[in-house]
Amino acid sequence: MDVLSPKERLLRSLNGEAVDRAPVICPGGMMNSAIVDVMKNHGNVLPEGHRDSKIMADLALDVQADTGFENVGIPFCMTVEAEALGSDIDFGTLKCEPKIAKEIFPSVKDVIYKEDDALVKSDRAGTVFQAIYNAAGHSPDIPVIGSITGPLSTAASVVDPMNFLKELRKVKDESHRFVDYVTNQLIGYAQHMVDNGASVISIADPTATGEILGPKMFGDYAVVYINKLVDAIHEIGVPVIVHICGRMQAVTQHIANLHADAISVDALVSLKKLKEEYPHLTTMGNLSTFLLEFGETPNIQRSTEQLIQDEINILAPACGLSTSTPLQNIQTFTGAAKAV
Amino acid sequence: MEKEELFRQIADAVVEMEEDTVEELAQQSLEDGIDAYETIDSGLAKGMERAGQLFDEEEYFVPELLMCSDAMNVGIDVLKPHLKSENVSKKGKVVIGVVEGDTHDIGKNLVRLMMETGGFEVLDLGRDIPPAEFVSKAEEYGADIIGIATLMTTTMPGMKEVVDILADKGIRDKFKVIVGGGPISPAFAKKIGADGYARNAADAVKVAEKLLSNTDLALGA
Repeated sequence: MDVLSPKERLLRSLNGEAVDRAPVICPGGMMNSAIVDVMKNHGNVLPEGHRDSKIMADLALDVQADTGFENVGIPFCMTVEAEALGSDIDFGTLKCEPKIAKEIFPSVKDVIYKEDDALVKSDRAGTVFQAIYNAAGHSPDIPVIGSITGPLSTAASVVDPMNFLKELRKVKDESHRFVDYVTNQLIGYAQHMVDNGASVISIADPTATGEILGPKMFGDYAVVYINKLVDAIHEIGVPVIVHICGRMQAVTQHIANLHADAISVDALVSLKKLKEEYPHLTTMGNLSTFLLEFGETPNIQRSTEQLIQDEINILAPACGLSTSTPLQNIQTFTGAAKAV
Repeated sequence: MEKEELFRQIADAVVEMEEDTVEELAQQSLEDGIDAYETIDSGLAKGMERAGQLFDEEEYFVPELLMCSDAMNVGIDVLKPHLKSENVSKKGKVVIGVVEGDTHDIGKNLVRLMMETGGFEVLDLGRDIPPAEFVSKAEEYGADIIGIATLMTTTMPGMKEVVDILADKGIRDKFKVIVGGGPISPAFAKKIGADGYARNAADAVKVAEKLLSNTDLALGA
């Protein structure tokens, strides 16, 4: 029998304390595991679940029970924040996740600023808070992770991304003002997630990658605003996971400056090397989602064992899962992770 | 100023993202009676090529590459009305888009930019494109190359579908298929039967040139 509850294990891992084994989780948001298999098994389906707190909570609990991941992850997309700030959303289908249909502003210079609690007061956020509340009440031993779209990704979902990226250099003052505004909205959002029962916050910021921004812009914007958000969540007393997409060579030197309690990375990054370079980092990841979708059982098993052998602190998929990932493959992953 | 010196300064201004300087120098080239096409080809495009090189070397990143492109476009706006002929020879026709299910199109936009600068005619289908549409649009447009991008692992199977549809319709040989994007590897490109893999936007131009130089079409052109 496990000595620690999943919640204790995850919180201890994030706090750098000793654990019996690494937890195996999937945080939700960009990295959610609401796969078709699970939805068909129980009938709690997307896209309806994106706007219905009961379906959202039930689906999150179904996912947890079926997959064996040791957390509940809410919500299932990256559009809650941008919709609240004005962008048009295409809610997708059962198989296809929601996406930004159109960013509302062409340029940072066109942004019409809302009150700082616009996100928190939006219908979509309300659905998320209620779902977190329901799921957290269901099983106190399973941690609920509230997933947030990071400051730059949210910003690039509200302002046309091609212009936004240029304006980070061209129109610095207005860009900073805008990203700061977005960050303040996200701080309120995280606060309410915690108030409703989230015990960990996970931030995914796929626009804030070294490959897209380069070291200078990553340092000037990504590090500054992700840290502002992380610091504010720490003040509430909750640990934070930050996921960085893509290759990281260009920005490795900045990773140690992030205030996150764990750094989650893509499949392309060697977590083993990252650990060697920055021994104090709590690392999370990074089983290839391609392997999870198309891999054979022995390969998934072997790759999971390799992550354990490399002493990765928290096991998780490397990126967003395909909705057609077979449930059995995910169970192989979580099973191998728990077999230590 | 010598013509070559002017071209060099224009290229430098593109690399340095100096829109105002590009505009001034482009005006000057017209006053000096230099052929507009030559200024575009040897000045502006040369600068953009160097910007692509810097991007490839990870000296420049997306914001810088986009700003260089803006600077180049300022110059093109000045020179375009003075182009003598619209019949500027093109290297080939490319249809490009992001696979269905994926709305991340920054990478694809960069590929379009570099392809156009590199002398290709590009039809940009946009993002979230169903596999069948890549094929139908490529046929309609008379494309030589189909470029498929994705950022997400979840949409990678859509790339294979494009290749499969081409094969099913018996028109696989009519097009060169290039794939690229965050999760794509050369091994994956080979596995799904694509003709080429592009590491990034600058690389895409080289791969396209290489593929077309091996075909009758390019040889006959």
